Amino acid sequence: MDYKLRKAEPKDVPDILRLVKELAKYEEMESQVTLTEKDLLEDGFGETPFYHCIIAETQGENGGEDLNVVGFAMYYFTYDPWVGKQLYLEEFYVMDKCRGLGIGSGILRHLSDLAMKTRCTGMMFVVAENNEPSVQFYKRRGAEDLSQEEGWRLFRFDKDSLVKMATPAEE
Amino acid sequence: MANFVLRPAQPKDVSDILRLIKELAKFEEMEEKVVLTEKDLLEDGFGEHPFYHCLVAEVPRDHCSQGFSVIGFAMYYFTYDPWIGKLLYLEDFYVMQEFRGLGIGSQILKVLSEIAVKTRCSSMHFIVAENNKQSIEFYKRRGAADLSSQEGWRLFEIQKEDLLKMTAK
Repeated sequence: MDYKLRKAEPKDVPDILRLVKELAKYEEMESQVTLTEKDLLEDGFGETPFYHCIIAETQGENGGEDLNVVGFAMYYFTYDPWVGKQLYLEEFYVMDKCRGLGIGSGILRHLSDLAMKTRCTGMMFVVAENNEPSVQFYKRRGAEDLSQEEGWRLFRFDKDSLVKMATPAEE
Repeated sequence: MANFVLRPAQPKDVSDILRLIKELAKFEEMEEKVVLTEKDLLEDGFGEHPFYHCLVAEVPRDHCSQGFSVIGFAMYYFTYDPWIGKLLYLEDFYVMQEFRGLGIGSQILKVLSEIAVKTRCSSMHFIVAENNKQSIEFYKRRGAADLSSQEGWRLFEIQKEDLLKMTAK
């Protein structure tokens, strides 16, 4: 199957949201996606983009003019105070029916290229520890598990905690 | 209560920021891993597109035994969660030893929380080394949840040499 990779455009926002929800559904978390097309549009295509996307497209089944969005990667740039810019891979998904065709590898290669062009020293991402296929997919390409090697644990302050910290305590 | 000021970093703070990054790295016995230069920090933080933001803590110069005025900092940037949107990511957070226990760290976290709420971030994320019990307690006391523990997330990295290998394929 022939596919094409390109930078996402504002018109892709409905497809991006569809794929985000599909991946969330696979993780049985579809109800946790509260982001809307409006958010994705403002946050990705406004004056300061907070994320970037690569889209994978294939020809329609009847070989006509139709192009279908079948996969995507969402990324942004982070900063390591020891070495500088890094590319952070936030989300990465190819529709089930299009797996095993090299689209995932193609996306990773494209991102690696981009990371080199923008002078990033590495690419980072998180993987759920029980997601064996993904862990192997990445390790085959040289990824290291920093949680294992260096003992890093990911923490979060949710909105409630932030609001509590931001407001002065009662005297 | 210590006499200190918290403010956004300016280009002139770049040498102090690098000094504090190296001090924190030294504490982790990793000082030689800091390859970033003042020039990088200047371009990356104060150019057309900032890749990071910093808050710095300042005291009167004669209050610091080594004669510095900038005695603490926090480095952060914005990330994006595809389910809920913008997040504030706390990358580095350090107060010089002689200024610990004076409420500077708490105040830095408070200002960061305000920034997060103002910029409509859904939460603040950061990583902590699992053996850094003091920091873990500091954050847990303020409501932080250990997502590695709760949700099983592991942090991965593909370094430059392997990225290059992939571009060649």
